[in-house]
Amino acid sequence: MPLDHADRPADPTVGCEREPIHIPGSIQPHGHLLAFGAEDLQLLHASAASEAVLATDLAVAFGEPIERVLPNDWVKVLRPKLRGLPSVGPMQLGRFRATSGAAFQAVGHRSPDGQVVLELEVEGDDEGPEARSTLEALYPGVRDAYARLGRVATPELLAATTAAAVRRITGFDRVLVYRFEDNWDGTVIAEDRNERLPSYLGLRFPASDIPAQARRLYELNPQRLIADAGYSPVTILQAEDGPPLDLTFSSLRSVSPVHLEYMRNMGTPASMSVSVIRGDGRLWGLVSCHHATPRRVSFAARNACDLVAQMFAVRIAAREEMAHAEARARLKGLEGRLLARMAEAKHFVDGLMAVPRDLLELTGAEGAAVLTEGACVLTGRTPPEAEVRRIAAWLAERGMEEVLESGALSELLPSAEAIADTASGLLAVSISKLHPSFVLWFRPELVRTVKWGGDPRKPADPTPSRLHPRRSFAAWAETVRQRSAPWSAAEVEAARDLRTAIVGGVLRAAEERAELTGRLERVNKELAAFSYSVSHDLRAPFRHIVGFSEMLREREGERLTDRGRRYLTTVIEAAENAGRLVDALLNFSQMGRTSLVPVGFDPAALLAEVRRALEPEQGGRPIEWRVSPMPLIHADPAMLRQVFQNLLSNAVKYTRGRDPAVVEIGCETAEKEFVFHVKDNGVGFEMAYAHKLFGVFQRLHRAEEFEGVGIGLANAQRIIERHGGRIWAEGSPGKGAVFSFSLPRPDAVTGESI
Amino acid sequence: MSQLRPVLLVEDSPNDIELTLAALEKSRLANPVVVARDGVEALDMLFRRGNSPDEAPQLPAVVLLDIKLPRMDGLEVLEEMRREARTRNVPVVMLTSSREEQDLIKSYGLGVNAFVVKPVGHREFFEAIRDIGAFWAVLNEPPPDHAGSGNPGEGT
Repeated sequence: MPLDHADRPADPTVGCEREPIHIPGSIQPHGHLLAFGAEDLQLLHASAASEAVLATDLAVAFGEPIERVLPNDWVKVLRPKLRGLPSVGPMQLGRFRATSGAAFQAVGHRSPDGQVVLELEVEGDDEGPEARSTLEALYPGVRDAYARLGRVATPELLAATTAAAVRRITGFDRVLVYRFEDNWDGTVIAEDRNERLPSYLGLRFPASDIPAQARRLYELNPQRLIADAGYSPVTILQAEDGPPLDLTFSSLRSVSPVHLEYMRNMGTPASMSVSVIRGDGRLWGLVSCHHATPRRVSFAARNACDLVAQMFAVRIAAREEMAHAEARARLKGLEGRLLARMAEAKHFVDGLMAVPRDLLELTGAEGAAVLTEGACVLTGRTPPEAEVRRIAAWLAERGMEEVLESGALSELLPSAEAIADTASGLLAVSISKLHPSFVLWFRPELVRTVKWGGDPRKPADPTPSRLHPRRSFAAWAETVRQRSAPWSAAEVEAARDLRTAIVGGVLRAAEERAELTGRLERVNKELAAFSYSVSHDLRAPFRHIVGFSEMLREREGERLTDRGRRYLTTVIEAAENAGRLVDALLNFSQMGRTSLVPVGFDPAALLAEVRRALEPEQGGRPIEWRVSPMPLIHADPAMLRQVFQNLLSNAVKYTRGRDPAVVEIGCETAEKEFVFHVKDNGVGFEMAYAHKLFGVFQRLHRAEEFEGVGIGLANAQRIIERHGGRIWAEGSPGKGAVFSFSLPRPDAVTGESI
Repeated sequence: MSQLRPVLLVEDSPNDIELTLAALEKSRLANPVVVARDGVEALDMLFRRGNSPDEAPQLPAVVLLDIKLPRMDGLEVLEEMRREARTRNVPVVMLTSSREEQDLIKSYGLGVNAFVVKPVGHREFFEAIRDIGAFWAVLNEPPPDHAGSGNPGEGT
C-alpha cells in the first residue's frame, strides 16, 4: 500500500530525543572505567566491577590518589600519561595485565566535565603484542584504503571502497555507508558484507532511528562500539552525591536500552559505527558495521576505521565541492547572459524571457513565471496562470524570505496537490518588498519508490512509559508522490543571485525614475513660476511704454518735429512687438500645460471660420481655395483651430504676389490615422532648413519680407504632438510648400464615426 | 437713483492707474472713478470700514480688479466680496496682466463677471477700457443696494 507522507503517524519514538544518552550512569561489561580528578588524580568514579583491577577495596578507594588505587607498576606508566592527556579526544595508554591474568588496553580521555577518565578494555583474542590489531599490523590496510579512495571519483564508488576497507580492517559481517538526507532520514549508499547478514543497500531509514542527540554525540565522538547487544550494563559508582559522569567521549559508554532492543530486533548483537564528518564539523553520515554474533574490535582497529572514514569524508567533500563549484560556474555563466539581456531590455522581464531556456536552465526547472505589478509571464511547463497567481498570492501572504525552495509544494500549500504534474517543486524568489513580485520556477512530480528499512510507521506504543523501536526491517516499498527532484544548493544559490541582481537593477531603475520625476516636477514648477512672472512683470512695462508713448503722441504730438514723431512711432512699434513676442511665448508655454478637451467634430466648419478670420490678412487679394471634404475627427477644437490658423495664415502670407494664389486643403484617411495637408504655390523654402521650421522663434525669411514672430509652427507642432500625431513639411524655393499633419483615428474601422 | 454709481479701480501700479484713468476719461464715462491701491483698501471702501466711512456711500457700478496686489490679492478680494451679502452681486471685472489659466479658472470659480487681459497695444487697451466702462457702468442695470442680503443662495 503506498503511503502518503501526510498520513504518516506522529513519530512514537520521539521520546528518544529526550533521553540523556551521554550520562547513562553505566558502561558495557567488556572493560572497566575509572575517573579521577584532574588535579590530584584522586578517584571520583569507578565502574562496579573495577575492583578486579584495583590494588585496594573499591569501598575505600574513592577520594584516594591514583597511587593507592591502582597497582604500582601501572601507576608508574599511567600517571604521567594521564596528566599529559590532550584536552580533546581519546589516547591509547598501553597494555596492562591484571593479577588475574586478564589483559587490558588502556585508553584515556578528558571528560567534558573536566575529569580524567581511564578506560580499560578487555583485550580480545585478536589482540596482544603478536596479534594483527596493532597499529603496525593495521597500517597496510589503511594505506591500501587511501590508495583505493584516490582511484575512484563518484560518491557511490568512494563509499563502496570505504565499506570494503573498513570490513577488511574489522572483519565485521556487514559494513554500510549510511548518508544523512536533508531531513536526517538516512540512506544506505554502499555496503560490503558476507552472507551472514542481509543486504540493506539502497534502504532508507527514518530520521527518528538516529535521534538528534545521538547525532550530536556522533559529531563529538566519532567512534562507538557495542560489543554485545545482550550485555548487562555495569553501574558507575561514585563516592558521594554529585552529577553523573559525562561519557560523551567514552568508548565503553552503555547505550540506550531502546537502541539495544533495536539491534536485537535487527539481529545484529555487535555493532560499531564511525562518523563521517564534513569539513564544517557537521555529520555527513556513518560507516556502520554489524556482526551476527558478539564482537569486540580493538581501539587500534577503531582508530584505523576512523582514519579511513576521515579520508572518505575529505574525498567526498572535495567531490561535492567540485560538483557544486562546477554547477555554480555553469549557472554563473547563464546568470551573466540573463543579466546582460536584462540590462538591454526596457523592462527586466523582457530580458528574462528573451531566451526562456536560459531562465529554466538556471535552476534546472521545467517551467518558470515572472510576476510583477499585476503582470504574469509564463514559460515552459507551468500550472495555469490562475494557479500561478494563487501561488504568488500565497507567497505574498505568508511573507516569505528572499528565497523559498521546496521539493514538495503540496506539503506547504495543500491546494498545490492538483498541480503536482507541473509544480510539485517550487523555487521562488521575492523581487520586491513593496509589490508582491516574484520569479517562480517549477518542477514536475517525480514519482519515486523509496525502499524503507522496515515500515517507518512504527506501531504506537501501548505502554507510553517505555519506548519500543520497530521490530521489522524487511524492505518496505513506499511510492512517493507530490515530490519533485530536489533543488540543489547550486540551483538555489543561482536563484538567490538572480534575485539580488534583479532587486538591484529594479531598485536602481525605480530610484532613477523617481529622481527624474522629481527633477521634472521641479523644472515644471520653475517654468510655471517663470511664465507667471513673465506674464505679470514683463508685459506690464511694455504696456506702459506703449501707453505713455501713445499719450505723448496724442497730447504733445504737435510740439514734436517729424523726426521726433517718427522716433516715437518706432518706440511704440518696438514695444508692441516685444509685447507680442512675450504673449506668443506665454501662449506656447501654456499650450503644453493646458489640458486637452477632445471632442468629435467636422473640421470643415472650423476651416471655413479660420478662412473668414484670415480675410483681413489677404488684403483683398484673390486666393483660390481648394478644399476637399473632411472626415469627422476627434480633437480639441480650440487647439486644432490654432493649427489651421497657423498653417492657413502662412499659406496666405507666403503666396503674397502669386497670381493666382492657390491654397489646397485636403485629408487622406490612412489605416490608423488621418493625414491633413495644406499646400500652397507660394515662395516655398529650401528643404535643407525644413528641420528649423518648427522651432521656437525660427524664421526662414527676413522680417521685412514676411511679418510674424516665428512661433506659429512651433505651436502647431506642440498641439499635434499632444494629440498623438506628427507634423512635417515639404517645399522648394519658389514652388510652394506642403504642410502635413496626422491625427490618430479614434477607431481603426472607419473614419466616418467617432 | 440719486447719483451715478462710481467705478472702483483696484490697482497698485501708478502707471496702470494713470493709463486706465486716461482711457476712462477719453471714453467720456460720466461715473466717478475711485481708486484703491491694494486689496485691503478696496474692501475697506466696499464695507465702509476704516477711517473714511463716508467715502463710498454707494456700492460701485463695477469693480475693476487687478490680480497681483499688495497685502491682499485680487482673488482674495473677490472671494471676500462674494462671501458678503452686501457685495455679492457687485459686478467684478478682473483687469490684469496675467494670462495664467489658473488665475482664469480660479476667478470664474469665485464668481467673476468678466476677465480681461490688458492688451499691450494702446488702442486695444483704450478700446477695452471704453467697452468695459460702457457696458458695466452704463448699459448694465446694477442690482439695488443690499440686493443679495435676503437672497444668499442666488448667484450672479
